[in-house]
Amino acid sequence: MNKVLYVDLSERKSWVKDRRDLFEKMLGGAGVASQLLLEECKPKIDPFSPEAPIIFAIGPLTGIYPCMAKAVCFFKSPLTGNLGETHAGGHFAIALATAGYGALVIKGGSMQPVVLKIRDDKVEVKTASSLWGLGTRAVDEALAEPIKSGLQSIAAIGPAGEHMVLYANVIVDVHRHFGRLGLGAVWGAKKLKAVSIVGTKGIPLTNPQAVKAFYEKIEHEVVATDKMVKYHNLGTPVNVLELNALGALPTRNFRERRFEGAEEMSGERFAETVFRRKVSCANCPVACIHLGSLTKTFAPEHERGRTEIVKEERLVAYNYEPMFALGSNLGISSPSRILELIDLCEDLGLDALMTGSVLAWVTEAFENGVLDEKTLGLRPKWGDPDNVYPQIIKNIAEAKTPFYTRLAQGVARAAEKYGGRDFATSLGGNSPAGYATGYGHIVGTLVGARHSHLSNSGYSIDQQIIAGKAKVEDIAEFLVKQENWLYVLYSLVACYFARGIYTPDVVVEALATVGVKVSREDLERIGREIFHNLYRFKIQEGFDLEKEYIPKRLRELDTPIGKLDPQTLKKIITQYIELREKEGLRIRKKEEGLAELLLPQSDSEERR
Amino acid sequence: MSLRYRVEIRNPARCIGCYSCVFACSRHLFNAVDPKRTAVFVEVDRSGSRAPKVSMCRFCKEPECAYACPHGALQPLPEGGITLTPSKCAVCKTYDCVEACQYKVLVLDEEKKVPILCDRCGECAKYCPHNVFWYTEAPAI
Repeated sequence: MNKVLYVDLSERKSWVKDRRDLFEKMLGGAGVASQLLLEECKPKIDPFSPEAPIIFAIGPLTGIYPCMAKAVCFFKSPLTGNLGETHAGGHFAIALATAGYGALVIKGGSMQPVVLKIRDDKVEVKTASSLWGLGTRAVDEALAEPIKSGLQSIAAIGPAGEHMVLYANVIVDVHRHFGRLGLGAVWGAKKLKAVSIVGTKGIPLTNPQAVKAFYEKIEHEVVATDKMVKYHNLGTPVNVLELNALGALPTRNFRERRFEGAEEMSGERFAETVFRRKVSCANCPVACIHLGSLTKTFAPEHERGRTEIVKEERLVAYNYEPMFALGSNLGISSPSRILELIDLCEDLGLDALMTGSVLAWVTEAFENGVLDEKTLGLRPKWGDPDNVYPQIIKNIAEAKTPFYTRLAQGVARAAEKYGGRDFATSLGGNSPAGYATGYGHIVGTLVGARHSHLSNSGYSIDQQIIAGKAKVEDIAEFLVKQENWLYVLYSLVACYFARGIYTPDVVVEALATVGVKVSREDLERIGREIFHNLYRFKIQEGFDLEKEYIPKRLRELDTPIGKLDPQTLKKIITQYIELREKEGLRIRKKEEGLAELLLPQSDSEERR
Repeated sequence: MSLRYRVEIRNPARCIGCYSCVFACSRHLFNAVDPKRTAVFVEVDRSGSRAPKVSMCRFCKEPECAYACPHGALQPLPEGGITLTPSKCAVCKTYDCVEACQYKVLVLDEEKKVPILCDRCGECAKYCPHNVFWYTEAPAI
């Protein structure tokens, strides 16, 4: 657990260091990885340079308690230019744990495509030119080994990562991802096509009796109470109808908040029509991964002149966020169309949320005349009646023309060049998740260290405000507390979905059973310290909250509590900064209040 | 170990591949979280097209593993399945029992160099969230 595996891709070397110092001080996961990031990542480094490190970590509860099934990864994001943070499930965390490591640091870069193969103590960097160009599924099939006793995890990039699309994902075990902030592009720059980890060792328990007893208690909470049942039953797609009823389902590039196709793209309808099977991350009894059936028909030329049609079925994981991004936000409601677009993003290794934001911006820009057919080569329309989105997605992944290369840099940079910044939905450089719920989601995504709805659950306080259980004035404090606490959970490493199970008292008790003695106060301090370290890294790399731009579409977003008011947004952000500065984290560069740049009164639509 | 108990895989198609059974078995038999030291096995289909393959001892009435043992370390039980006498097993270098199992569910504990036997504790069934296993306390005969 205290062992850190270092791999240098340039020299094809690896070595192991005992980093008990870090694990004792910062638990594991996000705590340890943030320290390793500060150690390994030189200031202002080019994220695509060989020196840029990639850091994975797991925690003291990985593999031991239910839902402790995630790995965190820190790197320098080529998308935002500052902190890259992403979490994935699948078998990655347990494979790393059973291979005997608590963290993995990848440095250097290769001239030829390579695969990093880890099998317990055996670590190899192998040439893999033959895998270059393959989709993520084909890579997985090529690297899969038959394993009876042990676990294998395969993380791979697709063509999008190879072409360094700034929002390329790393696909983990076919259906999971290290997503969002461009880890796939960093792998592409290093010519790292895939990492395969096989773990067959045990995770030793210092007090097995205590672990057994506590496991029973937690497992009961997870499977026999309603705390996580939502994720198992319909899964997050249950959100579609709930948000639509609330009037908070972003539709057609966040222009509307109710979708006439909500019924058709609902989790309920997916369950009735395309759903096939639920699967789980290793060591999680929840099974939130819902797989839907996508049937493809072979073209007649594959049939050697025979007339029967051969169909191929593949299972595609669906959940709320990609369904929103490639569904309602594009005006698409058909489950099979949505699955087709998700599958394409997965196989090419693209982030579905940012891809959705880019497609939505392209469609609206084309509608407004900001973009023309000459630039695009295609005519996109809401609902994609002409089926042009798959072609746009492929063009992005392969960086086809200068225009598509620009789209491959994310929606904000595309709009900076071509215009339409007003409706380029980007916050802190990342595209927001599917909640038109209120101030919490917008501010939370903007101020969060990784600009994700999972940074600080802003959308959840919005829902409390809509229900009359909280006030707008509570948002800033909620975001601070929530993000600090989530970094504790991400140090264990828990899944975000299990945050209702692992309350501070439960975490203290769980850690005690594995010999980690900490108090609630210690945990609070560690969470705060992780956040501060990460934010200092962001600021060092050029992030300036005062200069962050909120596009008009989002700062005047129509929500269930009315149209957002830019002045209120500004007030919440100021409150947030003050709370953070009271903790001792310096965010403002000048002593005066927020720069006017944060929320410009009018957007100039200059084409640069 | 109580031989009154029976555990069987009844609904393999329901498996979600969470490994809860594997780790429960390993906790029970070896006080560890160890995917190699277990008497129940999960092999996932990575594409998700098929349910994972779950396997464990079938408690054969005619246990080939026991018949294959040249040292008499494995003995058939009247209600099906086997028992192990570790002292007799310790002299073995060939592990014919592991080879003999048609279901490939008898594996060697590489640490103790003896086969890992299911002791019918039912922890796999208890911690399976999807009722893949069937467990009963009724007499087995």
